[in-house]
Amino acid sequence: MAETGIVFNIQKYSVHDGPGIRTVVFLKGCPLHCRWCSNPESQKGAPQLVYNRNKCLGIEHCVRCLEVCTAGALKAGEDNRIAIDRDVCTECLLCLQACPSRALNVYGEVLSVEQVLSRVEEDQAFYTRSGGGLTLSGGEPMHQPRFAIALLREARRRRLNTAMETCGFCRWEDLREACRLLDTVLYDVKSMDPYKHRLHTGVSNELILENLQRIREEFPRLALWVRTPLIPGFNDTVEEIRAIVEHIRRLPGVRYELLDYHRMGKPKYEYLGLEFPMGELKLDEERARAIRRFLQTEAPELLVPEQPEPAADAYRAGGR
Amino acid sequence: MSQVPCCEVLSPHEQRLFDEMQGRAEKYERGRERVFRIMKRFQAQRPRIDIERARYFTESMKATEGQHLMLRWAKALKHIAENITVYIDEDQLLVGRAGKQGRYGILYPELDGDFLDLAVEQLAQRVQSPFDIDPDDARLVIEEIAPFWKGKTFHESLAKALPEETLRYTYDPQNVLISRYIVNETASFRSCLQWVHDYEKVLKRGFKGIRREAEERLAALDPLSPLDNTEKKPFLEAVVILCDAVVLWAKRHARLAAELAAREKDPQRKAELAEIARICERVPENPATTFHEAMQAQWFTQMFSRIEQKTGTVISNGRMDQYLYPFYKKDKEEGRLTDDRVLEILECMWLGMAQFIDLYISPTGGAFNEGYAHWEAVTIGGQTRDGRDATNELSYLFLRSKREFPMHYPDLAARIHTRSPERFLWEVAETIKEGSGFPKLINDEEVIPLYVSKGATFEEAYDYAVSGCTEARMPNRDTYTSGCAYINFAAALEMTLLNGRMRKYGEEQIGLQTGDPRGFKSWEEFWNAYLTHQTEFIKQAFIQQYHIIRLRAQHFAAPLASALHDLCMQHCLDLHQPKIPGGIDLGYFEFIGYGTVVDSLAAIKKFVFEEKKVSMDELLEALANNFEGREDLRHLLMNAPCYGNNDPYADGIAKAVDRAALEFTHKYARELGVHLDLRYVPFTSHVPFGKVVGATPNGRKAWTPLSDGSSASQGADRNGPTAVLLSNFASKNYDFRERASRLLNIKFTPKCLAGDEGTRKLVSFIRTWCDLKLWHVQFNVINKQTLIAAQRDPEKYRGLIVRIAGYSAYFVDLSPDLQNDLIARTEHETL
Repeated sequence: MAETGIVFNIQKYSVHDGPGIRTVVFLKGCPLHCRWCSNPESQKGAPQLVYNRNKCLGIEHCVRCLEVCTAGALKAGEDNRIAIDRDVCTECLLCLQACPSRALNVYGEVLSVEQVLSRVEEDQAFYTRSGGGLTLSGGEPMHQPRFAIALLREARRRRLNTAMETCGFCRWEDLREACRLLDTVLYDVKSMDPYKHRLHTGVSNELILENLQRIREEFPRLALWVRTPLIPGFNDTVEEIRAIVEHIRRLPGVRYELLDYHRMGKPKYEYLGLEFPMGELKLDEERARAIRRFLQTEAPELLVPEQPEPAADAYRAGGR
Repeated sequence: MSQVPCCEVLSPHEQRLFDEMQGRAEKYERGRERVFRIMKRFQAQRPRIDIERARYFTESMKATEGQHLMLRWAKALKHIAENITVYIDEDQLLVGRAGKQGRYGILYPELDGDFLDLAVEQLAQRVQSPFDIDPDDARLVIEEIAPFWKGKTFHESLAKALPEETLRYTYDPQNVLISRYIVNETASFRSCLQWVHDYEKVLKRGFKGIRREAEERLAALDPLSPLDNTEKKPFLEAVVILCDAVVLWAKRHARLAAELAAREKDPQRKAELAEIARICERVPENPATTFHEAMQAQWFTQMFSRIEQKTGTVISNGRMDQYLYPFYKKDKEEGRLTDDRVLEILECMWLGMAQFIDLYISPTGGAFNEGYAHWEAVTIGGQTRDGRDATNELSYLFLRSKREFPMHYPDLAARIHTRSPERFLWEVAETIKEGSGFPKLINDEEVIPLYVSKGATFEEAYDYAVSGCTEARMPNRDTYTSGCAYINFAAALEMTLLNGRMRKYGEEQIGLQTGDPRGFKSWEEFWNAYLTHQTEFIKQAFIQQYHIIRLRAQHFAAPLASALHDLCMQHCLDLHQPKIPGGIDLGYFEFIGYGTVVDSLAAIKKFVFEEKKVSMDELLEALANNFEGREDLRHLLMNAPCYGNNDPYADGIAKAVDRAALEFTHKYARELGVHLDLRYVPFTSHVPFGKVVGATPNGRKAWTPLSDGSSASQGADRNGPTAVLLSNFASKNYDFRERASRLLNIKFTPKCLAGDEGTRKLVSFIRTWCDLKLWHVQFNVINKQTLIAAQRDPEKYRGLIVRIAGYSAYFVDLSPDLQNDLIARTEHETL
């Protein structure tokens, strides 16, 4: 129970990451470096100082952070804002405590299993009715395997429903241990092309596909949701998705879904002082629709069945 | 975490608005041609004042001075029934209105007629809920109606009766027409609290049956008894007159319908008019025999009730899916009725409701009830008198009507319990997703045990009807009708900081002197000073209430409401009498500014006393300057633990504040002989209350709205909707029976609830709300961008309906202050 790990967010009322109403615990650190990553703060393992210019009151109104920085990392910058010299910064985080508007913040905090799960259990009443529970996400939860597994083990003991989002790029032994403690796995398959995969994420997909295969073989009854983020210029073609579908339909009982690329992570690059690698690229809606049509006609058995409407006659009449 | 940059998903309500803007509305109207035709005739109209009710009421009251009040009231009603214009609206299937065609309001000069002449000149210019009046009518009001009531109104009596120190908290002592918005009485802008009649009595017995009972009782009186002669006899005579008045009014409609039928060329309408004539000849005098008759009898009853007195926030409709069900079932079984016809008749009633506007003459009444507020609560679902699920086919038709017919009438309320059928919750959730804020939800698991603890039988408690904004009534058992105090506790907080004074009222010492807070050494000292003010405010409210209860019986009577109440009939007592034997008197007092107060206390506790990051001096100076030049301090304060985040630090303070109020009423309410329970239901009062309170230590700027109901301060709930519910749960004192309704607003973006998956999750969210025994919840499902666009371009968004405080209204009918308040409420979105 003394196990600790680095968590960068605990998100309540999450309704898109597993069954029911869930709490997602985001663990820091990831072996992949996807260009489109919407959680850039998750990539590095250690806590990171971030600066949100929009929340900053401006040095005309407030210089509390400048007053406490002894390392000389903070200076008056352009546009009435501060400038951070990250090379000099010792991440002592005094500035963060001084900041009244939370413009300065830290991504990543060391928490114990007990601390995390007591936060997760706060929403117990909602899990009971919705079938929800804990979802581990990241980063890559398996990047902190001991902590992740300790969390899952304790969650099990507390009778919490468990799910994990994973990129699959991890030691099989760790993943196997996690699967023993999971009710649902949300498994990313980004592309079937190993070369392309390496080019865009930094690693090949072989280990990922191998681990997927092993999960299905060793845990035939574990709910397995394969997900593909639909990324413009990377895999947003019917051919790419067809290749994934062909592969996973050989695995029994897999549910499949697409996650549309979005740019909600973009501001976070700025807070971290990073460039956003995807620039202005957007998902083409026409292409996305074509791919969804393809899935509905060619692979309906993989999609989530919509619950039948309990009273078809009573809905959205559009005239009587 | 981040907001979606543009609306990716529209609610059906938003979709409909956009379709209408692009001229693609006809698909929504198919099959509903009649009701849309009626709606379009009045939809965009500014309401007009009709003075007939006031005129005939005053005429009769002039002629009966000195007589028994209930008898006078019944005679006045009969005089109105004989003389008021009767209308049969084009295309309508139900008839009976209390004033001009189109949207209209009527006057109750006996209530606040001392405002009348002034108000009549100003109503058209009022920012909140303006009205138009015909110049000839205005002259009649000013010259004939208002002068008679000067010196006789309830409002004037109350102002004279209040002790000096209580008056200071209530009105401007120099001009009692101006409210202070500190301890605000609400009994002078409505002659009765929200109320529900036992409509079933009318449907089953008819007014003929009630009249017969009164006559038999008259015949059985002891002719030698002084009491029978002075109290019971006039009461029963008044009931007889009242029954005659209602029936006479209905029959005038029957005659008019027959005349119109004779002249009508269109054969379909001719037949409809003949049927209306037949129905009005029959009901409400006799028991109803068909669904249509039952609807017409109910409608006559509630319209006559609106003529009788100003029930605060409009008379409620009770459990319509229950008392109408036998008529529905019989007609369906005998092949006389289709569901489409049921919807058409129901919607004809909603159209009738939509044209009657609850008019508030006093500026306070107007500010409390913005956007032409109305709570004619229609209750569906819940449990039967023996504790089984009560949902039936009609319950689903009400929900269907609400989804398909875009009106914010009626105010639909669904009772939820732990065994509510999945289909019911599913359709409730689908209706909520529609986006216009209906239905509001009331929790059987909280209301029923509480009402039993307050003295009801299980049968009565299981059969409660939602009444008004968020309240629950037990017809034939509830007997409390006095408007109660709305208390501005943010003002109590300000008095703690300013030693009993308020920024708005300058040097005047309104409250107690609790000392200069700069001298306070500890949090406990500050907390005790705050509690001293809080308790003093409640004390002043109770003093007000004492006089209100006493005075109302001298000013108001309600023969119709009394005739429909078993206990009033049994004891021959008018409903406005202070004590009716066997009744349960459920009064209340209202906590306004909960989130504002709790967050401010948390900020002071943490930053001033615990962490000593801010000195009291610095804080007071920043507040005095409305944070001018101190944005840094303002933001620091906003980062204190806030109510609404399931944070034990803030919720602990919230619970202590709630508990102190409960302890006071636990000890003292019985002295007044009634329950005065703690509620958190603002109407729109958090807006005018905010206008008298300067900047507060939670970072709120001066004169802006306070937090509403038991919701978090605007934008302070950062941990999502589950935390909002859990904070509400954590701050309640379940060991006190003196608790009552807490209004809770939750705003979702449509994306968050999209698809079946979204509906399923909303259903489980509602189930958990039920498990937590929270009294009430209501939802706005709308994109913030839509509200901002509507503020910019009101013409295009005329049809946009939003949820406010237990009711929904057209967004464009609201004042800019309230619009901004709605935009500021946190919308919940998920990753």
